[in-house]
Amino acid sequence: MALPGSLWRQPANRGLVSHCTHHHIVVFLLTFFSYSLLHASRKTFSNVKVSISSQWTPSCLNSTAPELQPYELWNSSHLFPNAEEATLFLGTLDTVFLFSYAVGLFVSGIVGDRLNLRWVLSFGMCSSALVEFFFGTLTEWLHFYNKWFYCCLWIVNGLLQSTGWPCVVAVMGNWFGKAGRGFVFGLWSACASVGNILGAFLASCVLKYGYEYAFLVTASVQFAGGVIVFFGLLTSPKEVGLPELGADEDVSVEEDANRPLMGSDDADDDDRNYSIQATDTDNQPKAIGFFQACCLPGVVLYSLAYACLKLVNYSFFFWLPFYLSNNFGWKEAEADQLSIWYDVGGIIGGTIQGLISDVLQKRAPVLAISLLFAVGSLFGYSRSPNSKPINAVIMAITGFFIGGPSNMISSAISADLGRQDLVKGSSEALATVTGIVDGTGSIGAAVGQYLVSLIQDNLGWMWVFYFFILMTSSTILFISPLIVREITLLLHERHLRMLAE
Amino acid sequence: LDLSNCSLHSVPPELDEAATAIVLDLTENPLMTLPSGSFLGFTYLQRLAVPLALPCPGGSDAWQEVTVDGSGRLCQGQRNPCNGSTDLAWPCPENSACAPDGPGLIQCLCESPFHGYKCLREGTFPVLLFSGVLGTATLSLSLLLWGTQRRKAKT
Repeated sequence: MALPGSLWRQPANRGLVSHCTHHHIVVFLLTFFSYSLLHASRKTFSNVKVSISSQWTPSCLNSTAPELQPYELWNSSHLFPNAEEATLFLGTLDTVFLFSYAVGLFVSGIVGDRLNLRWVLSFGMCSSALVEFFFGTLTEWLHFYNKWFYCCLWIVNGLLQSTGWPCVVAVMGNWFGKAGRGFVFGLWSACASVGNILGAFLASCVLKYGYEYAFLVTASVQFAGGVIVFFGLLTSPKEVGLPELGADEDVSVEEDANRPLMGSDDADDDDRNYSIQATDTDNQPKAIGFFQACCLPGVVLYSLAYACLKLVNYSFFFWLPFYLSNNFGWKEAEADQLSIWYDVGGIIGGTIQGLISDVLQKRAPVLAISLLFAVGSLFGYSRSPNSKPINAVIMAITGFFIGGPSNMISSAISADLGRQDLVKGSSEALATVTGIVDGTGSIGAAVGQYLVSLIQDNLGWMWVFYFFILMTSSTILFISPLIVREITLLLHERHLRMLAE
Repeated sequence: LDLSNCSLHSVPPELDEAATAIVLDLTENPLMTLPSGSFLGFTYLQRLAVPLALPCPGGSDAWQEVTVDGSGRLCQGQRNPCNGSTDLAWPCPENSACAPDGPGLIQCLCESPFHGYKCLREGTFPVLLFSGVLGTATLSLSLLLWGTQRRKAKT
């Protein structure tokens, strides 16, 4: 009689190694880089803001000096009268993008589950690349500067870019089973940060030729990525005849009498036997409705929790340069470099916490502990001294404790929710659920942008940190029912194991 | 260009078309003032005669020789304001250099290799090279991946 404990351990280790074909590697890399490219173009926009606002405004000298000549060279662009107004408009573009991205996430998840994921992803990448090209390069080549045009284009871009995340998470969820999901997704979530670094690098290389070339480069590379994804991505193992993931999942302790595959005698052996297949005879999975997806257990709670967490994550990330230059007087380039440490902390956090949650087979307790430490590290960061190394270390630690859960919720947990027992094999819910979770998160992030600037204007930076601590605590609050349930399950299983030994 | 005794009360805007004039005569006109931008672009102007009441545009420092006779003031020999003895009130912005633009007037032109609005852009982007590299990379990767991945795909 096999011990329940060892049944857990074996699938976790064997699953990761025996499943890994070259298809898995290619899928990992393709989805990784396609999301990186999407993120890179957003970072490009952030990095060229200074150049764009110079392009949109006339030269600004102190009022006593006469106008510079020749007029066409120095003063002919009057889209905005001065740099402050241009910066305000660029901030508005950011907010508008975030809101349309949030709306688009809800829609794209549903669309991705109904249509072929590969088509949706490559369409989204290529058309978003086209829109970015129009936004940055064509307007400059034609010298056509119009605020409404920019606004509309950026809204469309937000909607198109939102196709990326639900599709890539769904594809990864199709290929990588529950066995190693936390660890693999933790590692894979690095794609956003890699995209940031890539975007910053591309922009800085090409910016001297003019900001329109920065847009041209990132848009072209993204378009190329879309084409490569179209020709090379396999959305699910069944496209090449490999077993669908639901069929040979790890044997769970709770007996599931409905499973025709698992003979109780050779539970360990036929676990890995691919020839036993039942899913091919099933009906083609149909996509789940939006409200049905919302009603899946855990979706609403995790969405709200993610809204609070992503608010902290994004606001921390966006406002960090301002905070560093306001509080400590550091330059923007240094602040940019320092914020990479936050990303690094997030990647390491996501990977390690994913690994731990894989071993425990429970996600919520890991999140809770990490978030408790996050409150502490936020408090510590608000009191950090004016010293770059110490600041970088505390920032990395904060990133570890905040970015880790954030990465987990948006990737591994969404995949869990979308492939849980209730929907497994009979409906496609993965992209929809990812869309819901990330959409709610993005709304939280967009609202956070406003709130942080409001609080900072009226009350100062310390209150901004208190606000972040409040948000992190509400994240813990939202997932507390799940924490309670999973901890009781954990204790129950441990009790069972002790009885069996 | 002789515009003397034309009953001009103010500098006509069409004067800009005569920017290549070397000699200009404005005497015996009831002009009140010479706005500072009137002679923008008059880089070739070497002899300018203005009514007695008005000063030489750009001040006396902008001309090598200023003589006054009965009918008017004669400004001769336009000096290059960029390498004048007097310091410029304001330097040209980054990546641009001073160039004369008329008597006492300067313009800031982009220094090579800078060009474009506000001289922000440097050099030319190698479009052909970039598109060539990207195109071949895309093509080869797509073919490779299609061959190894999707060729056996059922849908």
